Amino acid sequence: MTPTALAFTLLFVAITVLLSMRQRLGLERDLIIGTIRAAVQLLAIGLVLQYMFRTRHPALLLPVVAVMIAVASWHAARRGKGLRGIGIRIAVAITATEALIMLLLLGLRIIENTPQYVISISGMTIGNAMVVAGLFLNHMKRDVESSRGEIETLLALGASARQSIQLSLKRAVKASMIPTIDGMKTVGIVQLPGMMTGMIIAGADPLQAVRYQILIVFAFTSSAAVTSILLSLLSYKLWFTKEMQLRRLGKE
Amino acid sequence: MSILAFTDLTKTVAGGRTLFTRITASVEEPESVALIAPSGQGKSTLLRLLALLDAPTAGELRLEGKAASGWQPQSWRRRAAYVAQQSVMLPGSVAHNLSTCSRLHDTPFDRELAARLMEAVSLSSTDWEKNADELSGGEKQRVSLVRSLLGEPAVLLLDEITASLDQHCKLAVEKLLTEMQAAAKATLIWVSHDLEQARRVSSRVWFLADGSLADCGTEDFFRRPPSLAAERFLSRQGRNEDAGEGGP
Repeated sequence: MTPTALAFTLLFVAITVLLSMRQRLGLERDLIIGTIRAAVQLLAIGLVLQYMFRTRHPALLLPVVAVMIAVASWHAARRGKGLRGIGIRIAVAITATEALIMLLLLGLRIIENTPQYVISISGMTIGNAMVVAGLFLNHMKRDVESSRGEIETLLALGASARQSIQLSLKRAVKASMIPTIDGMKTVGIVQLPGMMTGMIIAGADPLQAVRYQILIVFAFTSSAAVTSILLSLLSYKLWFTKEMQLRRLGKE
Repeated sequence: MSILAFTDLTKTVAGGRTLFTRITASVEEPESVALIAPSGQGKSTLLRLLALLDAPTAGELRLEGKAASGWQPQSWRRRAAYVAQQSVMLPGSVAHNLSTCSRLHDTPFDRELAARLMEAVSLSSTDWEKNADELSGGEKQRVSLVRSLLGEPAVLLLDEITASLDQHCKLAVEKLLTEMQAAAKATLIWVSHDLEQARRVSSRVWFLADGSLADCGTEDFFRRPPSLAAERFLSRQGRNEDAGEGGP
């Protein structure tokens, strides 16, 4: 794509801004900020990736993956406001997920150990894990609030923290995985995934692109399950005080 | 060694309102205590503190001579079981609810005892396979009581557990609990709005008003109210009952 062609894509933003002004949606400022941020972030990562792919130095992978995990954890932790120490637990869950996926992909030689593959697939895995962690926390917050009676009934009968919150954990893990499972069911029919489309546009053989997409879809399901289940085990105690009383988030 | 005691207990709730300040009382032997107070004075909160479901702002709680800090909250709650006013049925059947304690603590489910208790609270004809959520309010309240009794607690913290029951069921529940208490198996702390019930079931009254707690014998409480607040409360209740309102 030529720089002129790229510049023309700003027309899409212009159309949206015009529509927003005409309909008085008040989105112009957010749209312009969003456009600038997206362009700067993507160009910056493009330059970083270009440099890394040229040097092909595996030692450079770690800091990049670490930054991805840190940003993803920070972002997902905002869904768990009020839960002290949730950020570090999300980071542990996402790191474990990333480590497991990479261990399998590289160990079984499914992908090559080059920055080109490792960074791209790590980005997608970590991004998916971040979304799943955020969904888990959202559901958990809502579920714990609506199930206070149930949880306290179990506590009053002498249940442990884990026993009393088990049903909420189960429901939140399930709910956080549904979008990934639904995506798997409809992929290729309802939506053509970004990565596959990108590869095809860049000139790859569609069947080759599909193979990589299958890898990503399957890796996503296990990354969703591992992140969600691990995070549920690491975080359930945060819903209780040290005297094992159910906390009232936001009211403390 | 006292069964249950609290010393200098203070509770301030969110918003800064203090419900009670430095209240002290203890139960030395299995007995039945009625916890009475005008609305909004913190009866249910005090009961929840005694079940370790809420934390006091200050003060100390003791069970069987040992301070709360020396107990695992789980073990404390098994000994001192709280039965809520709004009974919550856990997802599943009546049988599933009744066997909750045995599942939680990995102990055998005493089906015979459960059946006897269900009969004692006039629920002998209830289908145990029925979804517990389909029971009526009064049935849920009694199943919830039986569910707690099956854990064989030493202290029962009862928060208006007969509020949704008709007279017949109310008396059946009272009979079961007072008989258990008489057999020295349990200490009962009843929160009740029903003064007649308090008189029937308790030998002692804890009266909570204006942030302090008065502790006296039940008959003394009704004959010689321990404070001006108690006197005013009783006379207001009397007027309400005369007017046919039944309670505050």
